[in-house]
Amino acid sequence: MTVTALPIWLVDVIGAMAMIALSGLCLYHVRALSRRDPNNVIWTYLLWVSYCLCGFAISRSAGHILKELLMLGGHAGTWQAIRPYSGSINTFLLFLVASFTLFFERVWQIYHQMSGDQEALTRAHEQVLELNENLEKRVAERTRALARSEKQIAQADKLASIGQLSSGIAHEINNPLGIILGYTQLLSRGEPAGSQKYEDLKIIEKNVKACKAIVEDLLNFARSPNPRQEKININALIEDVLTFIQRRLRQNALTIIKDYDTNAPAMILDGEKIRQVLINLLMNAQHATDNKGTIIIKTTYDVSCRQMRISIKDDGYGIERENLSRIFDPFFTTKSTGEGTGLGLAVSYGIIKSHGGHIDVSSEPGLGTEFILTLPVNPEIQTQPNEDMAGKETG
Amino acid sequence: MKNKRTTSVFPFLCRRIGPALVFLQFSVVPAMATQTHGDPEGLVVHQISHLFFMFSMGLLIYWIRSHGLSKNPGWRYIQYAALLFIIWTVDAFFAHQIDEFYEWIRVTRTGPWQIHIETDNPVIAVFYYLTKMDHLWCVPALWFMYLGLRRLNREAQHKIAQTGFQQRPES
Repeated sequence: MTVTALPIWLVDVIGAMAMIALSGLCLYHVRALSRRDPNNVIWTYLLWVSYCLCGFAISRSAGHILKELLMLGGHAGTWQAIRPYSGSINTFLLFLVASFTLFFERVWQIYHQMSGDQEALTRAHEQVLELNENLEKRVAERTRALARSEKQIAQADKLASIGQLSSGIAHEINNPLGIILGYTQLLSRGEPAGSQKYEDLKIIEKNVKACKAIVEDLLNFARSPNPRQEKININALIEDVLTFIQRRLRQNALTIIKDYDTNAPAMILDGEKIRQVLINLLMNAQHATDNKGTIIIKTTYDVSCRQMRISIKDDGYGIERENLSRIFDPFFTTKSTGEGTGLGLAVSYGIIKSHGGHIDVSSEPGLGTEFILTLPVNPEIQTQPNEDMAGKETG
Repeated sequence: MKNKRTTSVFPFLCRRIGPALVFLQFSVVPAMATQTHGDPEGLVVHQISHLFFMFSMGLLIYWIRSHGLSKNPGWRYIQYAALLFIIWTVDAFFAHQIDEFYEWIRVTRTGPWQIHIETDNPVIAVFYYLTKMDHLWCVPALWFMYLGLRRLNREAQHKIAQTGFQQRPES
């Protein structure tokens, strides 16, 4: 069968040239990859496979082109002399490509091991850096927390001592006051109403009653006598207090913003005592704002800690820094004589403590004050007197 | 004691092994020194290289697929290249077998652009003619190899431009 050799010739020569060009392009890209990331063994593997492939392509293609040219030029003998060498080099390079290709699996394993180690190293390095960066910050935070906690302990100790002292004094004063009040009332019965003596006795009675009220407040601060356990919705209680004090507050220029947590659960509290605390704080806020500012009342239920936070914030004149540590002390007041006894916050403190909660205060002079009551949800109310505050009852 | 042993071993070697070595030296024939390599050996070696190449390309495809690398377009192209190389090597293997190993055909150049294929079976002649154009397989194979490597290179470039980190061959 005689056929044209042109298709074979064309495919052979053009294909050989294309192989040289393509293998060069392969090498170009894989060299770029390897240069970009020289530590990546996969790229190194591909580089060596490409080198071998390129060598094979050049050797084979050069042989083919040379063969066709020599045959066309009538130098068949020359080709016969070159042929064994060309074929041997091709065979050798084909073996080489195949051998390098078989390293893939091992290279892949090495690559995975290296990248795993590298990632672990990077993670450890990042952690060390992060720790270094945050070390000073953490130390400062811990120091602040320690100072805060020391301050709170000192405050609690101070209030406990005052409570113990007050409780003793109040108890001792309460009995003579009762006797004075009794005799005063007895004497006033024998005097005709409107006489000078009768009026004098009424003045004594009134002032003794005022003294008894103060003593009662002192005892409330020192010990919470048997708080009742009622199921209370705190938002409803605040609303109730607001309705009650609205009559007393001249609300014309005072804005009250309410932000209640609707998910607030019912709590077991002594409603009357908490009401007293809320009245104290709201009256203080009203006084601080001078009836012209804004009071924000916010309740937040913290599900994770099972705690209810009640924030009462005003934009009044605030509390001076030097007074902040004394505001819960009995008889401490910045109000003028006759406006306050200085027992409101002390009593509130005692009530919240007896519910297992705490009061926090933050204030910026000129900007306002925020009181935050934190109460545990459904705790066992302490029915015993607050021993921390009252200590041992005397007499 | 040690010296005594040393001195007793050497005469033994001289007496027993020495004559044997002398005998072997004189009795060697040329055929035993080196093996000769005749004509078909080169062809056999070349055919084995084709089979070995086919095997390694097959394994490469298996590894690429088993590691999930074929999901990446770059590695998928390399996988196609390996497949085309297998087809090329089968083509080349049969071309060598028909032409040189079995000698089922005899090819003579009758003119600058003409060849005469002499065979008993015309189907083999047609098959041989087609197998001679093996570049139709190996050039596309290299083309896919080029596409695959170019793709991997561009992905690496893109990744560095985006994150500033080196690229990893991910599946």
